Formats: sequence, structure tokens, C-alpha cells
Amino acid sequence: MKRLKIASVILIIFLIIFIWAVHSGRLFSDKADDSGEQIKYTATFMDIFDTRTEILGYANNEEEFSNQAELIKDRLVFYNNLYDIYNDYDGINNIKTINDNAGIAPVQVDEEIINLLKFSKDMYELTDGKVNIAMGSVLSIWHEYREYGSENPDRASLPTMDELKEANQHTNIENMIIDEKAKTVYLTDPEMSLDVGSTGKGYAVQRVMEYCREKGMDNILLSLGGNISGLGTRIDGTPFRIAIQNPDLTSTEPYIEKVDISDGQCVVSSGDYQRYYVVDDKVYCHIINPDTLYPAETFAAVSILTDDSGKADALSTAIYNMSLEEGMDFVNGLEGVEAMWVYHDGSKVYSEHFEESIVK
Amino acid sequence: MKKNDLILIIVILALTAISVVGITVSRKMNKADVAYAVVTIDGNEYGRYPLDEDMVTTIELEDGSYNILEIHDGYAQISEASCRDQICVNHFPVHYSKEMIVCLPNRLIVEIVGGEENDVDGATN
Repeated sequence: MKRLKIASVILIIFLIIFIWAVHSGRLFSDKADDSGEQIKYTATFMDIFDTRTEILGYANNEEEFSNQAELIKDRLVFYNNLYDIYNDYDGINNIKTINDNAGIAPVQVDEEIINLLKFSKDMYELTDGKVNIAMGSVLSIWHEYREYGSENPDRASLPTMDELKEANQHTNIENMIIDEKAKTVYLTDPEMSLDVGSTGKGYAVQRVMEYCREKGMDNILLSLGGNISGLGTRIDGTPFRIAIQNPDLTSTEPYIEKVDISDGQCVVSSGDYQRYYVVDDKVYCHIINPDTLYPAETFAAVSILTDDSGKADALSTAIYNMSLEEGMDFVNGLEGVEAMWVYHDGSKVYSEHFEESIVK
Repeated sequence: MKKNDLILIIVILALTAISVVGITVSRKMNKADVAYAVVTIDGNEYGRYPLDEDMVTTIELEDGSYNILEIHDGYAQISEASCRDQICVNHFPVHYSKEMIVCLPNRLIVEIVGGEENDVDGATN
């Protein structure tokens, strides 16, 4: 009898503990809170680099993630202000300041501007001039026609070849004088201007991800207007999975391919489907071929997969401006760079090892 | 131990079992059911619309600009908008948790909250 009594007391105590555990969410709960398992969070910002920023990360709680996202945002804003060609910021010399002082005086700038400009010049040399940040004079003409044409579709028109050729007299990247010791940049040609649209976003993403790595952060996916870069993996150790947008926006398939990226890998696409305007039923996109001074039109989109976001950004513009043969030779000649070309009919061509990253 | 003690223990056991099943089922149900298209303007929530009810609504902003949100067969999309770039209108319909459509000119976001998880973590644009 006594043993049975003890047993029933133990049973009741056990039941009480069990009920308490279920009730407080320690058992049968889908959500891990402060118990050490990290939860996935995302943050979206709309005011950096005139595009949308998405940060995906893991943290124990929302506050911890917000702090991390704010750190990343602050760094991106820093680069946004430095690399801006349209706006002035109090107390900062940025790329617009350099342009405003073309032919007038060297401008003292932050080291990160010098780093971007040097990187952009390297890309100019690597791509045999297919990416030229000194093409501001030509790009600004197209920019004006595109803005006007988007707002007044009935009166949309094209710039004349004379106009473009005249502007193209002032696109020599050798006239961008960088003095690393004095930390100044000077454009010797007063008619010249820099437009870092093909490198600035990607380079900023690369630098911000390097900063995150130095700070000991891990498991982060950053997308700045489609310039995607991964730090580490998902929290469960599987790779981040990136969808590549279908350039055919009327299709019911939103994505044309899915790729898995390893630590440090980056993806970016260039195409004619997002920023463009229409003249006489023909689409004119924002990517201007330095050789023809006209929008490239061979492909609907190209995507680059590589381990440096700045490089990915620059190379996607470059191969968008090349023929398939030229681009294929170029990409296959580079270590660790893969590409996918998409034609307007939806057909795809891959570089040597691109398919290895595709999700089967 | 008396017969009544035994009955008490059995009743407690039964109640516990029922409550565990109840809690688990209700959590699962909640998780699967709650999928909304949440509209925010300039970071402030404007409204949330369940994905399982087809509807059309015009979201008007103070300056007269607008976006028309449509929900159809569990997918949300912007079918028409006053913005210049039309990126939101061209965006594919969203359905999976955390997918979103952004209209930068109108500072409007449509985000899916809850519902099915997507197998991709990000997308190029």
C-alpha cells in the first residue's frame, strides 16, 4: 500500500511538471524563442542606391536582428552618399562633387571613393573598355531621353548619333587623375563626368559583406537591387538558394533558374526588362554599349555568378554588351566566373561550369 | 491506494493527453491558415488582406497616386498603378511567405506574411 502511495505522488508530480512544460511552450512548440535556436528574419529598406535592399539573417530575437540590419544599413548609406552622382550631402565630397569640379580642381575624397574608382578602372581594362565609368556624358543624354520618354510616352524619342558622338569625345578614362597620396580625384576634361552605375552598387555590397565578416557576423544574405551576396550558409548549413528573375515579365514563371551559392558567392543580372523606355514600340534599355553608343539588345538578360559582388556587377554589364562568342571566351578565360545568357525567346546558354550551381 | 485515487490519476492523464493534442493541432492550424498580403506605405501598415479571399482594392495615397491590389487564387499582385516605372505592375504575383512587391515611387510594399515557405532565399532583378 505504501509503495503505491509513493508511486502515485511521483506520478502526480510528474504530471504537474509535464503540464507546466507544455503550457510554457517548452514542449510541442514550433517556435524557438530564447532557447538558443535562431530564427530567420528579413529587413527591407527602400531608400538606398535608389533601389530596394533586402537583408536576410538569423538571430535569437527580433531586436538582435534589427541591430544587425541597422549596422548593415548604416554602411550601405555611407556608400550610397559617397557614390551618388545626382545629390549633394552636407560635409561630404562625393562623385557628384568630382563631376562638378571637372576641369576646375582636384577634389579631396574618402578612401572608399578612390578604391571604387581604381576598381572600376581595373574592370575597364579587364573588359577591354566594355565597362567605362567615364562615360557619364553619353549616359546622361540617354538618361534624359529615357526620363522624358517614360513620363511622356507619346513624345518619346531617341538621341541623335551626332549628339552621342559629340558627348563620346569626353569619355577617356585616362583623364580621371587619381592621386592616392593626396587622396584627390581630378577630371582634366571639363566636359567629362563619371557614372558608376555599372560598378557602384556591386562594389558597395562587396565592401559591406567584408565588413560583416570582419565583425564576426555569419549566415547573411544581402540583396541591393538584385546584387546578391551570401555570407556563410543558411542556419541549417544548407546553401542559400537564389532565384534568377525571368526577363519575360508576361510569363507565368517568375524565375528562369535557381542556383545554390556557397560562402562568399554573388549573383547579379543585367537585362532590358526593368529600366527601359519605349520608342515606336521598340524597347531601349539603360545599358549603353560603349562601342555603338546605343542600348545593347542581343540578350534579354545575362547573369554572373562569382565570388566578388563588384566584379559580378561590372562583368554582367560587360557581357551584356558583348556578342555570345566574345562573352563566352571572356568568361571561360576567367577563374571562378560563370555566366548565363538568356535570349528574348527564353532560350538559355551557360558558361562552362554554370550548370554545376543550378538546383536540379 | 483507493479506487478513487486510480480514477483521479486516469482522469488527469486523459485531460493531459487531450490538452497536448489540442495545443499541437491548434498551433499547426494557425500556422497554415494565416497568410496575409500586408500593405505598408512609407513603413506604416495600411492594411492586411487574407490570401484566401479573392478581392480587388484601390490603395490611394494622399498625393493622388494609387496602386490597385488584386488577390486571386492565393496570389497577390499589383494590377495597375500610377507610378512611372511600373515595376510593381510588372512584378510576378506573390504567394510565399516573405515574398514582396515594392513600388519605390509610391513607397508602397506588399509583403506576404505567414503561409507557405518558399524554397528560395532571394531573387535577382
